[in-house]
Amino acid sequence: MTRTRLQEIGLGAMPFAGLLAAWWAITNLVHVSMATLPSPAAVWAAASGLWSTGELQTDILTSLGRIALGAGVSIVLGIGLGLIAGLNRPLGDLLLPLASFFNSVSGIAWIPLAITWFGLGTVAVTFIIVNAVFFLIFFNTVLGVRSVPRIMEQAVRTLGGGYRELILHVFLPGALPHIMSGIRSGLGFGWRALIAAELIAATSGLGFLIYDASNFLRSDRILTGILIIGVIWMIIDNLALKPLERRTVERWGTVRTL
Amino acid sequence: MATVRVEAAEAGRELGAPAGLDRLRRVLARAGRSLLPFALLLAVWWAVEIAFRLSPAVLPSPWQTISATWPLIQRGILPDYITSSLTRMAVAGLFGVVAGVPIGLLLGSNRYVSVAFAPFLNFFQALSGIAWLPLMLVWFGFGEKTIQAVILYTVFFPVAFNTMTGVRTVPLHYAHALRVLGADRLRLIRDVWIPGALPSILLGLRLGIAYGWRALIAGEMVVGAGGIGFLLFQARSFHQTDRIMDGMILIGLLWLLIDLGFLRPVERATVERWGMLQR
Repeated sequence: MTRTRLQEIGLGAMPFAGLLAAWWAITNLVHVSMATLPSPAAVWAAASGLWSTGELQTDILTSLGRIALGAGVSIVLGIGLGLIAGLNRPLGDLLLPLASFFNSVSGIAWIPLAITWFGLGTVAVTFIIVNAVFFLIFFNTVLGVRSVPRIMEQAVRTLGGGYRELILHVFLPGALPHIMSGIRSGLGFGWRALIAAELIAATSGLGFLIYDASNFLRSDRILTGILIIGVIWMIIDNLALKPLERRTVERWGTVRTL
Repeated sequence: MATVRVEAAEAGRELGAPAGLDRLRRVLARAGRSLLPFALLLAVWWAVEIAFRLSPAVLPSPWQTISATWPLIQRGILPDYITSSLTRMAVAGLFGVVAGVPIGLLLGSNRYVSVAFAPFLNFFQALSGIAWLPLMLVWFGFGEKTIQAVILYTVFFPVAFNTMTGVRTVPLHYAHALRVLGADRLRLIRDVWIPGALPSILLGLRLGIAYGWRALIAGEMVVGAGGIGFLLFQARSFHQTDRIMDGMILIGLLWLLIDLGFLRPVERATVERWGMLQR
């Protein structure tokens, strides 16, 4: 690790340390009730309590499972249908306005209807996530396929390539930078939709954990949940989505040097 | 055939038919093309409803859905809820700009400060406002303050973070050039940093408002102090699926209004006009 990178990490940790110190000072020096603002130590105790009973692990795995399911369905359907609509101009023209409208409706607005249709639970939550993620991926795939230069398609055709070769070697790689940015921003919305859906339409998961805790004024548990929600997303975004997007853009995109 | 049409068009122009008519026809054709998908969707919806004879609680017919808006409009519920949702969004958006941009500029003006605050702002930008909702409920109860706090938070961080990173991406020699010519810090902010960071600021604003709008809907569902989200959620408790559909369509339309009526014009009037967009 280079020295500047170390410096960056050190500098970057300072505001967090400052916030922690301020939090500690407020809760220890000024008298605030546990329900209003629990001390860092109390939050740590709540976290380890939830961990030792296994509740925390279950909720984390439930939420991760739901986002994985929702994202998986959205990615498969979004890229598949996006390819079809991208290759067929009239069909694409027909579906793009619909996709952009449903994207405007946003997954969160589907919460009441999802509860009506599927009841509380994983199916409703997944349905909501898919509504938040799918349209963005679909939209980006269509745009990506359309942005592939004609000449490349013609080159492969001239050399005798069929639809299979065209899709695997021209359209999919050509659209990949678009698709990846669609997936990344889609999942950003999807993760938020997951939390909102779990607040309202589920009886398990991290969103339910914090909502349930608020009914009992357990702010220590709420803060535990909030911190975990933030940290998990940072891990997903920084360790999976960002590197993937960067590598796709470097490998197949127009940007050669980053 | 084609020549005949061209001749006819030319003849029309000679006869003094307004060129505007031609443009009107083109606009109408375009509107028709973009409305066609929605007409098809409506047809499919209707067909499904008839074919499966679903109960109105599961899937109301398009007609039922549209007629369900009448009582809502007549009793003044719909205008009232739309106004409160849009007002909340406008207040949050304004706050995001008024607080987020100066703080972003301030943090971005120093290299070490911006390096230090980048992970911090990024963390809170990524940590959705919706997650804070339960804590805000404990703090402020079920009321206006809770909703407002959640969306203010949601809009602020993307704007502040992107303003800060925007300032850092402005090439240094612009600032040097102005400083050599004797400009003070205020001039630098006005003529270099704000215009240079503008694409990034607007990106942050767009992101913040998009996240904020969703947080607003979710917040209104939970809190129950009026607004479109509340309309949806209340309709659900009474199994009024037609009202739920109305609310969803409305949410889509209102977002298009925010996007096409506010965000796009702002982008056009600033970034695109100043020629900072490369593509």
